[in-house]
Amino acid sequence: MQTIVKKFRNQGWYPYLFVSPFFILFLVFGLYPILYSITTSFFDWRLIGTGTPRFIGLGNYANVLNQDPFFWKAMRNTVILLVTGSLLQHFIAIPLAIMINSKAVKGKEFFKTSFFLPYITSTVSVVIIFGVLFDTNYGLVNWLLGFVSDGAKIRWLQESFGIKFVLSVVLNWKYIGWNMVIYLAGLQAIPNELYEAADIDGASSLRKHLSITIPQLLPIIFFGVALSIIGGMQIFEEPFILTGGYENLGGHQNSGLTAAYYLMFTAFKAYRLGKGSAIAWLIFLVIIVLNGVNRYVTKKLEG
Amino acid sequence: MKATKLLAALALAGLALGAASCGKKAEPAQAFDPSVPYEVNIGVYGDLEKAYTAVFSSADFKAKFPNVTFKFQTSDFGGHHNRLTTVLAAKERANDIEALEVGFIAQFVETGGLTDLNAAPFNAKQYTKDIVKFAMANATTTKDNLIAMPVDIAPAVLFYREDLARKAGVDMDNLPSWDAYIDAMKKLADPGNGLYAIEHPAAVQAIPLNGGKGGWMKDGKPLEPKEKFLGALELVRKVKAANVDGDLGAWSGPWSQAYIDGKVATIVNGAWFGGTLRTWLSPEPGKWRVAYLPGKMMASLGGTYLSIPATTPADRKPIAWEIIKYLATSPSAQLITFREIDAFPALTSVYKDPVMDEDVAFYGGQKVRRIFADVALNIPENKVSEYDNVILSIWNGAVTEVVNGTLSPEAAYETALTKVKATIF
Repeated sequence: MQTIVKKFRNQGWYPYLFVSPFFILFLVFGLYPILYSITTSFFDWRLIGTGTPRFIGLGNYANVLNQDPFFWKAMRNTVILLVTGSLLQHFIAIPLAIMINSKAVKGKEFFKTSFFLPYITSTVSVVIIFGVLFDTNYGLVNWLLGFVSDGAKIRWLQESFGIKFVLSVVLNWKYIGWNMVIYLAGLQAIPNELYEAADIDGASSLRKHLSITIPQLLPIIFFGVALSIIGGMQIFEEPFILTGGYENLGGHQNSGLTAAYYLMFTAFKAYRLGKGSAIAWLIFLVIIVLNGVNRYVTKKLEG
Repeated sequence: MKATKLLAALALAGLALGAASCGKKAEPAQAFDPSVPYEVNIGVYGDLEKAYTAVFSSADFKAKFPNVTFKFQTSDFGGHHNRLTTVLAAKERANDIEALEVGFIAQFVETGGLTDLNAAPFNAKQYTKDIVKFAMANATTTKDNLIAMPVDIAPAVLFYREDLARKAGVDMDNLPSWDAYIDAMKKLADPGNGLYAIEHPAAVQAIPLNGGKGGWMKDGKPLEPKEKFLGALELVRKVKAANVDGDLGAWSGPWSQAYIDGKVATIVNGAWFGGTLRTWLSPEPGKWRVAYLPGKMMASLGGTYLSIPATTPADRKPIAWEIIKYLATSPSAQLITFREIDAFPALTSVYKDPVMDEDVAFYGGQKVRRIFADVALNIPENKVSEYDNVILSIWNGAVTEVVNGTLSPEAAYETALTKVKATIF
């Protein structure tokens, strides 16, 4: 028995055996679908039907970019929501993290848990509740606004501005806590000596944050913004549920139609798998470009 | 060229994998043997399990199928159809029998995935002469393949609150036109006091389109004839302009509460909606009545079909067909389904049954089933197409534009048409 064990220990492939489950799973469930979707994007491929997929080269890409009436609208909506829903939250999450990190704040765990709670709450439930809150006739928001307005009700979920506003509120509410926790971890890694030196120099609290906290947090900010770009470009559940699903394609003037929403519609409602794959790869390219910009800006700020 | 070959090779590899999982070539179906015990799998949605369980428990069924048992896979409406679409697309085994709502049947009609019931050994044609024509047309392809059997339909009618109509002094039973309906709604509604004549202006948009179940394409051209679709948008505009609606999104919390509180006087819907009123929204008998749609327009607002997926093994197709045939063509099964869940029979011979002339207490003793039957027999035929889902989504956008007043009916129609053409061609 010992001889067998010794023999196995001497084998060069021994470590590979133990890491192989990851690579096998990655090949089957990661790489294969990725390559498959690249291939699919070059075919006129219907999900249902007896016809075989037809190779059309860049036809799907050309159709999406030049002819499709919804793709650019969906991209515009996505970028707007990326700014108002996904990136805006960093301007709230950083000060919030600084506040919670302050020694003066008691019950940090309570606040951390409270702010993180929306992140782990079911998106479906959250969106349904926000839909009720912003209902034109029976919503709490319009009821409250009624005390300070002339009685005209805002049609939050029936007008372009309203749909984007509600979606932004939902996204901020849901993800601020998540970003706050990331920034809190980053803040706790900043050496206290830096602040002590600033105190000796007589720096104000604002100066300390501008000159120490923010520069030290830059790698974390890059990470947080990168995650927001990736997540923000793939927003689906929130607009899908809020605007009534595939039948409404983002509600009034397609205001809630996002890129991922349209991708899902194309692939799984219109059953055009090839075109859906092309949209997926275009979204991927936009994510790459935006994260390149994020990297460039971060590098510049880091000097 | 090399890249093309590489891509084609990758695609073929993918297809080969898919094909490998498809199983063997279809074998000819074997005959149903009543002496052999079967367990039949049925995929359904909503209340259908309740209705079919009652049918399968009946003495008539047990006498005909003593050795058959059932296993249901019941999901919510959307979940059921998503599952079925995915399974059929992957050419995987589904249930022996799968239910389809008429709105979803379009995508399967010309694109395969379901067994042709007109072919041998099923030869469905000989059993369908008593099934409503429009429902048969929906499920029949241009090559005369029958991909599913209609089991229930939803003749569209006008439900109205009799007490409110009497108080307002309007006759809802003989509305000669949609304009007359709008005039009556103006008398019925009192928006200042939270009483609305109709839930939402968009509620009427599908009626001139025969419920939106098919008819979106004519001779390969979408949204034709133009006047039909423009008429529907114009109707929406008129209802909105009348300011009689509650701005209530269908099936939302405020929507159901408004009916529970008795704040909506009318609703245009399929016969099945009577069940929703009776069991949930307004259970107190005597309040509601049923009338023909304005101008005696005939339309359908729903319906269920039963199909046999192409991937069902050949030895299970005969029993699946026998069960479908029983549910669709047996008067006993049709009446039990109607009694259980208000799903109106697709089998016209049932319309002669005395039950159709009975007074219905919930509607104050009105013989509503005779109205349902009359509508059912006169619903026009519509052809469905694989693009119906996409066109419907775009059309709903046009309706919203008109409701919100951001586009005129003409402009909304043209915008929708441009989008449809760019999307489907």
